[in-house]
Order: sequence, then structure tokens, then C-alpha cells
Amino acid sequence: MKTGNHNTTIMHFFSKHLGLLVFYVLGTFITFSQTLPKPPEPPKGMVYVPAGTFIMGSEIGDPDERPKHIASTKAFFIDRYEISNAEFAQFDPTFRFPEDKKSNAAVVTWSQADAYAKWAGKRLPTEKEWEKAARGTDGRMFPWGDTYDSTYVVWDQKSTRGTAIAKPESPYGCYDMAGGVWEWTNDWYQPYPGNQTPMEEYGETYKVMRGGSNFNNQSFLRTTQRYYLLPEDIRAYPVGFRCAKDIE
Amino acid sequence: MFDALMLGNHWNEGAIMQRVFFPPAGLEKPLIGKQADCLDPTSEMLAAYSHKYAITKDPKDRRIADQIFEAILKLERVTGVDGLFARSYNKTDKPLWHEKVLWYNEWHRSTSMPEYRWLGDLSIDKFTSIFYGLGTYWELCADRAHKEQVAQLIDRFVGRIIDDNFKLTDLDGKMTLWGNLCPDLPHQALNSLIMLAGLKVAHKITGKERYSAAYHMLIDRYHYDDDQINSKLLFPKEWRNPGDDYHAARSLYMVMRYEEDPNLLIKYRMNLNRHWHDWKDMEFSFESSIWFIMVYQVLMDENVLNDHRIQTIKDMWGFDRKTRTFNVPQEDGTYKQVVAEEEGTAAAMIRNYWFGRYYNLIDENW
Repeated sequence: MKTGNHNTTIMHFFSKHLGLLVFYVLGTFITFSQTLPKPPEPPKGMVYVPAGTFIMGSEIGDPDERPKHIASTKAFFIDRYEISNAEFAQFDPTFRFPEDKKSNAAVVTWSQADAYAKWAGKRLPTEKEWEKAARGTDGRMFPWGDTYDSTYVVWDQKSTRGTAIAKPESPYGCYDMAGGVWEWTNDWYQPYPGNQTPMEEYGETYKVMRGGSNFNNQSFLRTTQRYYLLPEDIRAYPVGFRCAKDIE
Repeated sequence: MFDALMLGNHWNEGAIMQRVFFPPAGLEKPLIGKQADCLDPTSEMLAAYSHKYAITKDPKDRRIADQIFEAILKLERVTGVDGLFARSYNKTDKPLWHEKVLWYNEWHRSTSMPEYRWLGDLSIDKFTSIFYGLGTYWELCADRAHKEQVAQLIDRFVGRIIDDNFKLTDLDGKMTLWGNLCPDLPHQALNSLIMLAGLKVAHKITGKERYSAAYHMLIDRYHYDDDQINSKLLFPKEWRNPGDDYHAARSLYMVMRYEEDPNLLIKYRMNLNRHWHDWKDMEFSFESSIWFIMVYQVLMDENVLNDHRIQTIKDMWGFDRKTRTFNVPQEDGTYKQVVAEEEGTAAAMIRNYWFGRYYNLIDENW
């Protein structure tokens, strides 16, 4: 075994099994005795996103994605998958969908999504939370990295959730945050701090949806892409949702 | 007969509507369309009459082409923004019922032509329609004054795309749903081909160095020439899309006739060959698919019109009319079911015919 690999393995052992912060500087291990807090156990079907900063926005997308900036969230849980037809029907028994589409993402209005989230003891994610859950902290373009391939996404809305050929996860373990259906966020469509581009759509008329759908070009599947939609008008866009939950 | 239908039922002040509904679902004149898009059939009719005029030299044919071109000018003027095209327009001062039912709600009241409403969210297939239709008209039909107008229009349109970093942007400044030609953003290989073809046409027509420079920048720095080779998704088979092939065919038809660099021509031929792999066995399920065969023959100078394909050309049929039930929204928020007839466009078939005649692929006596 080469030395470098060996040291990496040792550090990995210390950090994983002893809960210690270990640094390796010029041949010497420096070990801090502070024990890392154990992340809380997520509720079933959710993943944990730790508190902290991340890179939000983009300089290469639409004007409303600018400026690229450092944003911060508290720790939160977020659903691993979008809410399915069958799950939504548990909340609203009048919700109709084809029998063979139980596992497909439910396409609903913002009010329906919000009501479901409250019924489930959860809430819709903010834009910040959604983007952080999708791209992690390293500013990547897609949930899996910076390159695109159609096998990475549920391209067809008719496909069930999590059925992309490559099945990529976001850094925190979420699926289908690119493609499939758009996803509602809790936020009104507002400019980012420091954004200087005027848009008459900013305000409290439109809600923000994220993630793109099968009816979009590849760029709309980027983690930073924002789109605005009247909360009750899903006639032209397949919009679903996933829920977030505060950590007590 | 098909000409009469297009120049009658589908004629919307020079624009050709894709599908029209007859009363009582339509207006007094059936000027609305299922997708409300008019740029595809409008450019097909412009190309058709340009090819026809090149054969007949009949001023009446040229006058029809001129009127269609003027409608394309209006598709820009109605938006009130230089270089921004509408997908369609309707002369009406209030929203029409189909705006909220049959297509996503991107209709706007025109500020530059207040008695009109127009449909936004232009997509790159319509970009293709514009440079294909205008390019063909400029080559074969337009007089000197109209050539100058074409050049100015293309300059505003393609210039705006370059100014927006190779994106089609809408009134709100955001990229349209299918407007991504940008080298900084991930996009389909087909989009690379379309952008190169659009720039090539713009350079040819305007003579402006700017378009040649942009063309070569996308090739030299961003390798659009390599990227476009894979415009055709061949595998898995179920991802093959003849609709996308139509945009590729129009783009290759324009760019391969204008490109002189043999190294680039090889790459465009590679693209065409990948398409031919599918086209050679294609069932001619829609009117544009037989056009693929004709385009291939024209570009490759290879006789591929066998008896079956010739018979398919002879059997071309543009008439498509059927009875449908529409849910027409009422002012009180309810919907009323209305039975009406819907008629499809024959513009592609008419274009196919005159294209074939122009290139001597279709015998006048068939």
C-alpha cells in the first residue's frame, strides 16, 4: 500500500469510528478531541441537511439567478423523493390518478401541496433549502455534478420516481431534483439580495418552482434554475413537490 | 385544392395557422390553432412559394410569398421588441377562449399594435423555421427591396440572440422554455447544429462579419462542430424523434449548402449520415418525413428515390379534417362543450411538392 492511501485510511478510521477531527500536516497527525455531534435521525423517507452555508445562484443562467452568493440555512429534513400519487391520495381521497401511476409524482397546485405538507406535519421547502438539498455546498450545476446526460434524469413524467437509468442522488441523498416534475417551493418569486435586474413578475403573485420537468431543455434542470408560476395554474407545467421539516 | 385551403382557411393576414377550428368553436373566420403556433407552416409556405416562383417566375406567386414574408415581419413588430418574434398573433382586443385551454398561457396584449394579441415563449424549432423560410425566400424569390428587409430582420433576430449569449429570451428577460443555444449552459447536440446553421444563414444574408465570427467562436472555443454530429439520438431506439429530425433536416439543408470548409462539411455529413441511418427505413408517417429523403438526395447528390419512395411522394396528402369536441370556457367560469371541425395544415406537403419540383425530384406530370 502506498503511504498516501494508508494515511487516508487511518484518518478515515479516526474520523468515522472515534468521532474525532483529525488533520494530517507534514507527516504529523493533529487530533482534536472535540466530538462531532451526531446528526439527528431523519423521519422515514426524509434525509438530513446540516446547518451552514452553501453557494446559491449562478452567473451563467437567467438574470434572476444572480448574483451567485453565499446563503445559509438551519439544519432541516427533506423528502428523499417527490410526493407520489398514492401518498397524496392518502391525504385527499378525491385525488384521481391512473391505477398504474401510483408511484409517479403527484402533479398538484401550490395550495394542494401546501395543504398536504401541513397535514403530514411538514412544510414546503424554501428556495434556499431546496437548492441546498439539490446541490450541496460545492456549487455544482446538477445534483450529481456538472455534466449532463439524459440517463441521469427521470426524463419522462410518465416514469415513476427514482427510475433514472443512472439513479443519481443529490449530495444529501435526494432523488429526482433534476427532471421528472417541477417542484413547488414555499417562496414567492422575489429577487435575490443584490440582484439589479428589474422584473415585473417579482412580488407576491407567483410562487417559485424548481428542478425542471420532462418538458424543458437541459438547462432548466440545473439546481439554480428558477421559474415562476401562478400558484393555482398547473395547466401547462407538471408541478409536484417534496416536503421539508424543521428539526426540533 | 390544398393551396386554396391554406390561402383561405389558414390565412391569418399572411401567416399560416397550423390547425384551425371552424365555427362554432372558432371565430367567424377560423383563425385559431391547436397549438396556436404559426411559424412552422408559415415558413413552409414561404419556402413553397419561393421554390414555386423560382420555377414559374409568375409575379402572382412572388406576391403571395411577399405577403407571407410581411406576416413574418409582423410577428416581430407585434412584440414591440426588435428581434423578438411571436409564435403567433391574432387580431383581437380581448383574450380568445383557446388561450387558456389549448396552449400554455403565454399570450400578451401587444403594446406596439394594441388591437393584436401575440404568443410568446419562442423556441428553437421556430428559430429554425425563421432562418429556413427567410433564407429560402432570400435565395429564390425576394426582390432587391425585400432582400434588404430580410437581411435587416435576420440581423435584428440573430443579433439579439448573440447579444443574449446565444439564448432566445422572452419579454421577462429569462430564457424561453426551449431557447437554449448557449455555450455556457448544457444543451442538446441538436441545438448546437441549429445555432451554427442560424449563424451561417445570418452571415450569408447580411454579409456581416459578426455572424461569421460568432460561428467560428462556437466552433473553435466550444466545439459546436463536434457536438452537432450527435444531433440524432439513435440509441435507445425509443428516443428517436422524427420531430427533432425535421429541425435537423432544415438546419443541415441550409448550412451544408452555404459551408465551404471541407473539414466542417465532413462533420455535417457525419450528422446527416447518422440521420440517414434512421431515415432510410422510416415509415412515412407524417408529411415531413418524405422530405427528409429529398433533402438527403439534394445534399448528398445520391439517388435514393426508389419506387416505394416515389410512390410515397405521389401519395402525399395534406388534408386533415375531423370533428372534435372542445371545452370552451365561458365568462362565468364554467365550460361549455362545443362540437366543431378542425383542419390541419397542408403547408409541409405543398412545400415538399415545390421543393421536389425545384430539384427535379418530382415530375410535373406525376
